[in-house]
Amino acid sequence: MGLKEEALGIISKTLDIKESEIKEDQKLYDSIGVDSTEMVELVVTFNKHFGIKIETNEITKFSTLNEIVGVIEKKVNG
Amino acid sequence: MSDRVAITGLGVVSPCGLKKETFWANLRKCESFVDEIKRFDANLYPSRIAGQVHELDHYSHVSGRLVKKIDVFSHMALVASEQAIKDAGMDLEKIDKDRVGVFMGNAIGGWLFAETELRDMYIEGREGISPYMASAWFPAAPQGQVTIYYGFKGYSKTIVADKASSALSLWYGSKVIAQDKNDFVLAGGMEAPITPYALLSANTYGSLSKNNLNPKTAYKPYDLDRDGFVLGEGSGIVILEKESKAKGRGIPIYGFIKGIGFSSDGYHYSRYAPASDDLEYAIKECLKDAKWNREDIDYICLDGEATVVGDYLETQALKNVFGEGIKNITLSAPKSIYGNLLGAQSALDLIVTLFSMKNSTVIPTINQVMGDPYCDLDYTPNKLKEREINKALIIARGRGGINVVLAIEKE
Repeated sequence: MGLKEEALGIISKTLDIKESEIKEDQKLYDSIGVDSTEMVELVVTFNKHFGIKIETNEITKFSTLNEIVGVIEKKVNG
Repeated sequence: MSDRVAITGLGVVSPCGLKKETFWANLRKCESFVDEIKRFDANLYPSRIAGQVHELDHYSHVSGRLVKKIDVFSHMALVASEQAIKDAGMDLEKIDKDRVGVFMGNAIGGWLFAETELRDMYIEGREGISPYMASAWFPAAPQGQVTIYYGFKGYSKTIVADKASSALSLWYGSKVIAQDKNDFVLAGGMEAPITPYALLSANTYGSLSKNNLNPKTAYKPYDLDRDGFVLGEGSGIVILEKESKAKGRGIPIYGFIKGIGFSSDGYHYSRYAPASDDLEYAIKECLKDAKWNREDIDYICLDGEATVVGDYLETQALKNVFGEGIKNITLSAPKSIYGNLLGAQSALDLIVTLFSMKNSTVIPTINQVMGDPYCDLDYTPNKLKEREINKALIIARGRGGINVVLAIEKE
């Protein structure tokens, strides 16, 4: 499974929404109306799952899935 | 006649039904809905029986995405609110949401969410705790969730006053309608005390029945063999609006909130004062506020704490206020069927009273077997009673002596 699919699965499971609702190049706020607390929950889950340390301000509700994957990729490889 | 505060919608989440029709039909059976607590290991708790809600998810319209962010007491409030809004025929597309308020009461907050997350925090550290903890547990959370869910932006408040919480929220909500600050108010309460920590706290308070081997007959107010009340969980929400507006919309009216009386014992942080004066004062103030005479009252929905002191003081207050006239008033504590829902209790008392008015049928006080010489009124034992009810009082007493009495009138 690629990193994008993993991240997509985490968002879907954490927020209890369908993967098809999340569009790759649309801000999470616009596609699924994510709020700031949900973003905190996502960041904490990403950190646990990938064993990385993303600060909550590095990705926001105005990020797209592709942007989030980019940040995770950098941390995982960095 | 002045423009009265009308009740036009009802929503119920209770141990004996999650819809108003089921609730009333089950009450009419006059059988207990109290059971042993099995959702966690409660074996070491002195009181481990309760009136429980088992099928909330089945009746819920709330998404899984939201349910995981909120405590069950907010979930119950959302389900009861949805029922009440539909029952009152509120058109959410057309109403002015800036003039819809939410007045809700509870006694203890949302402990299932809180205790689970606190456990995780101590085990896993600060990243183990849900970010929703901060907004899920506190007593105003249901009010917030209901206003967010529907986009209601009118004047709103949460009232915390132990077992009198929803009685006060009903009255504050009706005041706001009378003062024309809102067009609609969702008023009532919610409580979810059947959790490991909340049940422990309730046990520490010490007025719960320990008759664990006989859950169906444990809650017996005014009976000589009583040993305390039984906890319940759920929510009751009603829609309040001005009589003229309700009639203008052509919507049926269940009844009216006509007045309130309240007082505090000012005696002890948890116990009642040893005399009934303060409760009597609240009853008299309520009659004065409603502009009713003592002989006008047809029915009183009782507090029925099922403790020696609580039952005696309530009986004494009724005798002192109404004298011989108390024999002409029908009395009962329907909560003996499903438990006391603490901060949500008065909202359910109101809904029972409105159904009793509509059907001219009084729900009894069940489990009446042995008469108590000090509690010698007719509390409508065990069986339904036919009685036309036009004017009724609801009595709520909170820990430490918070006395609230509501006056309810039929259309």
